[in-house]
Amino acid sequence: MSGLSRRQILAAMAAAGFSPAFYSRAALSADGKTLKVRSYADIQNLDPAFRKGAPEDDIMRNIFVGLADMTPGDVWKWKLDAASRLEQTDPTHIEFTLMDGLVWTDGHGAVTADDVKFSFERMIDPKLDAVYKGDWEALDHVEVKDEKSGTIVLKAPFPPLWNVGLVFGSGRIVSRKAVEAVGGKFDTKPPAQCGRYLLKEWQPKQRVVLARNPDWKGEAPQFDEIHVIPIEDEKTAELALEAGDIDYTWIAPSSIPRFKQTPPKGGKIAVKPSLAYVWLGMNVEAPPFDKLEVRRAVQQAIDVPSVLDAAYFGAAEPATGIIAPGLIGHREKNIYGYNPDAARELLNKAGLASGFECTIDILNKTEQVSAAQAVQANLSEVGITATIQQHDSGTFWSLGDQKSGDAWKKIQIIINRFSMQPDPSFATDWFTPEQIGVWNWERWNSPEFGELNKQAKVEQDEKKRNDMYVRMQDLMEEGGAYVFLTHGVTGIGYSDTITPALLPHGGPIFHAFKSA
Amino acid sequence: MLTYTLKRAGLAVIITAISLMLLISMIQLIPGDPAAVLLGPLASPEMREMFRQQMGLDQPAVIQIVRFFGRVLTGDLGTDVLTNRSVLVTVMEQLPFTLALVAASIGWSALLGIPLGCFAAIYRGSLADRIVGILSVSSIALPAFVVAVYGLLLFSVRLGWFPTIGAGDSGAPLDQLHHLVLPSLAVGLGWVGYLARMVRASMLEVLTENHIRMARAFGLPERTITYRYALKIAIIPTVVVLGMGVGNMISSAVFAEIVFARPGVGKLIFDAISTRNYPVVMGAVMITTGFYVLCTLAADLIAAGLDPRVRSTL
Amino acid sequence: MSDQLFDSAREARGSGFRHSTLGRIISDPMGLLGITLVALILLGALLAGFTGYNPAKLAMRDRFLDASFAHLLGTDHLGRDLFTRALYGARIALGVAFVATGISFIGGLVLGMIAGYGPRWLDSLLLLFFDSLRSFPTVMLALALVTLTGPSLASVVLVVVLATLPGYARVVRAQTMSLKTAEFVLSARVLGARPWRILAIHILPNLIGPLVILVSMDIPVVITIEAGMSFLGLGVRPPTPSWGSILNDGYAFIRESSWPAIAGGLPIIIATLGFTFLGETLRDHLDPRLRKDA
Repeated sequence: MSGLSRRQILAAMAAAGFSPAFYSRAALSADGKTLKVRSYADIQNLDPAFRKGAPEDDIMRNIFVGLADMTPGDVWKWKLDAASRLEQTDPTHIEFTLMDGLVWTDGHGAVTADDVKFSFERMIDPKLDAVYKGDWEALDHVEVKDEKSGTIVLKAPFPPLWNVGLVFGSGRIVSRKAVEAVGGKFDTKPPAQCGRYLLKEWQPKQRVVLARNPDWKGEAPQFDEIHVIPIEDEKTAELALEAGDIDYTWIAPSSIPRFKQTPPKGGKIAVKPSLAYVWLGMNVEAPPFDKLEVRRAVQQAIDVPSVLDAAYFGAAEPATGIIAPGLIGHREKNIYGYNPDAARELLNKAGLASGFECTIDILNKTEQVSAAQAVQANLSEVGITATIQQHDSGTFWSLGDQKSGDAWKKIQIIINRFSMQPDPSFATDWFTPEQIGVWNWERWNSPEFGELNKQAKVEQDEKKRNDMYVRMQDLMEEGGAYVFLTHGVTGIGYSDTITPALLPHGGPIFHAFKSA
Repeated sequence: MLTYTLKRAGLAVIITAISLMLLISMIQLIPGDPAAVLLGPLASPEMREMFRQQMGLDQPAVIQIVRFFGRVLTGDLGTDVLTNRSVLVTVMEQLPFTLALVAASIGWSALLGIPLGCFAAIYRGSLADRIVGILSVSSIALPAFVVAVYGLLLFSVRLGWFPTIGAGDSGAPLDQLHHLVLPSLAVGLGWVGYLARMVRASMLEVLTENHIRMARAFGLPERTITYRYALKIAIIPTVVVLGMGVGNMISSAVFAEIVFARPGVGKLIFDAISTRNYPVVMGAVMITTGFYVLCTLAADLIAAGLDPRVRSTL
Repeated sequence: MSDQLFDSAREARGSGFRHSTLGRIISDPMGLLGITLVALILLGALLAGFTGYNPAKLAMRDRFLDASFAHLLGTDHLGRDLFTRALYGARIALGVAFVATGISFIGGLVLGMIAGYGPRWLDSLLLLFFDSLRSFPTVMLALALVTLTGPSLASVVLVVVLATLPGYARVVRAQTMSLKTAEFVLSARVLGARPWRILAIHILPNLIGPLVILVSMDIPVVITIEAGMSFLGLGVRPPTPSWGSILNDGYAFIRESSWPAIAGGLPIIIATLGFTFLGETLRDHLDPRLRKDA
């Protein structure tokens, strides 16, 4: 199932110490010829089948073409990339024709339809065992018609392909000849590239240098070079932005109000809705949270706006579920709201009138720590005494994993954040019964949810698909294990000498950045 | 002297080995299956198995230790499980940044500490001497991370004199130096005080020695005496102390590298531990510990060379 | 007077220096400064509960207030009174310092005496162990240990003990060895005293004085370790105030307000300076031989 790949993405990102968010930043040097781009993590793998996270996606978009790409702007919409034609002729067939003049580096010749076949089919090759195989799980095969054109043949209709597989990293095209020559996969040294930019140099932990591709026949990108600089800590990146060391960065949501009020000199700010979702989960197997009354009490004890005020300084809106506004399946409103009296009542009923003690596990990040302290304060109002346990990413991301240690048994309350790509299946995959002990750390078991999740993925009627996802979020809330906090918000600070090209969730398309 | 050197070197190797064994045993105890953390629990079982083998985690600790040392002897430190690159290469890429930082820190401490120490020795007993004394003690007491944060906030953010992040462009030495100023100040400030005190103390001793008195008697200018003759001798013990202090500097370097988002071994280990990238942890710790032990050894040997009495105590 | 800073060795070697220790310290400007700063910190720790604010109570409306009579050091990103948090931070810092150095003191004493007086093989073994522990830079030790145990004050204490104990043990060992051949010990041995009796009656009393000074000189180091670990998120659990975690907040929110950085960093500076000044003066007056660098 496609869940596999995505949770691996999360795991890989977790492993690399990233929060699973789409963080990436950029900058511009004084001469205007070099765009310096800031990324939240260094690259680890540039093979589309084995990339680890968003920082690599953002770089791959420049050095490999795809058939299609997402359009910068405020609406999720795909556009042609290296294809001159891309058309869904029936639910299981997509025809494509490549544009002219696409050439591989290192003497590997022209980009052909066979390269497309190779690039997509290797994603589902069981021998290769691609991390991102789920993005292409419905692919049957690719038919090559001639040098430049062919047909993608699916086993079943698969709407997420247009939101994810074709347009993000899994849709990048690599050279069959070159990749097979190095044994079928590569790490950080692409054997052949074809993009608007080429990977010129990687200085680990310092920068990735991309240089303009001289052989690019399409519209030439504006900057001679792009330097991608890894800076994990966003506060450090903000300081760097303000000091002029970088000219483009995502900023912490909590910094948005300040940036709005007093923008750094020569700087601008943009705010984009985030796709991520942040929630508070309760382990339904860990007493006293095995009682529905207790979970329901917590749901009504949390004053979400106060938590968001603490963590994001009010820059983020409360969430109604795990699917962000603007996506299929976004839910209009919550079922349970803040009601401490009702919460106390429920605790009385559960025989816990005098309160109880529990733990809140969080990732060791300023935002999470602030949120947890606000939750702690909310809980103490209804008599619950919570202890905050912060973990480094290595520990945190394996907490609920049944296969590593027995921390999963001890989780009581957890505050978590997942990022996603613009398809609702990306949000719901983690909460199914099969995911219990994997990413379903709340161990919430709803067969109905699992069934709906499967059906919704192949449902072609958008309205029906939407209703299914809404229903799934209702189930989550009724089950009591979840308090939806926010989708967060993406703040982007950039120098007024550039015009960034951003996807609706703020993800950058570096090759389309312009000088202002 | 040769026996002493050999004995001391042997001991250094053993100490490095023991600290690595402590590290491996500690890794065994750290919760969480790294294969699961790095690949995700639903990665295919073959993938995980391969990964565990790569990390050598399928073996008991003793075998892992033996294997690790076996590989180390052949110059192979293993493979970074995240990027599939050689750990040796990864560490060697980062090491120069940390060495540059440590060297620049020693530079700072020498640049400020030695003149201060001389000054205090020459004007011994004066108000200036007293002030230098208090400044020295103060600089020793200030924690590196506080200096790093305050330095960054004041000189980079408020005043904009120095860059906030990174190590500078690889092709531009001046740029790199510019990037080094604040981090090395943070790491080196504590040593300014140490050096000042040591130089002062040994200067006072040296200035009373016979050949200096002779020089004075010959009417050489006081300045020449101080800097040409006395300082040359007085500075030797400080070299020894600096050698011993490298471990401490590497500790401070972790903070400086984090606060200033600089590449470096400290940051490398910090990141590798939090991502459970054990081969990198092992390789990097092995090289830094080795480096530290080597510096201590060098310091010891210099001390022994200067003072034969040291040789009898091992 | 300044000579006492550097040259007090000669003067202090005289007899009967004990009875006027305090007087001597106060008459030394550095000692006076040290005592004042330390007294300030101790007073702060004592008065932490009397500022009228709860150090953990969130008040988002009062976020990032500047210093005023109501909030002597302003407020932090969650609207908490920073002065109160800094004072509570003093309790944490001093608590860790006393508990950890106490454990290190006893552990160093025992292990050092065993190494110094025991059989040679045990001595070599312990020595190797001490040296290996010391060859880990403290930060790495802290990182590895906290991954094992999770961040908490207990982990901080453990790191401090592991970082400082080997040094004490080495000093104790060296002293024990030199005392072992001292005449009064030899004569006791000839008279048939058991080893533990010799250690307890003849050697121990001669060790405690120097070790107390050494340990007290390490208090600023311990405070630095605690603050450093909390700065990296490896120390106290929120909302417990620690100077290191306050400074980390200050670093994160520096553009919003300077006060958290001041409230976190200033006490660290006051405490480390105060204890160092005091320790230096104490050592110069009590036992100049312990100077590491002269």
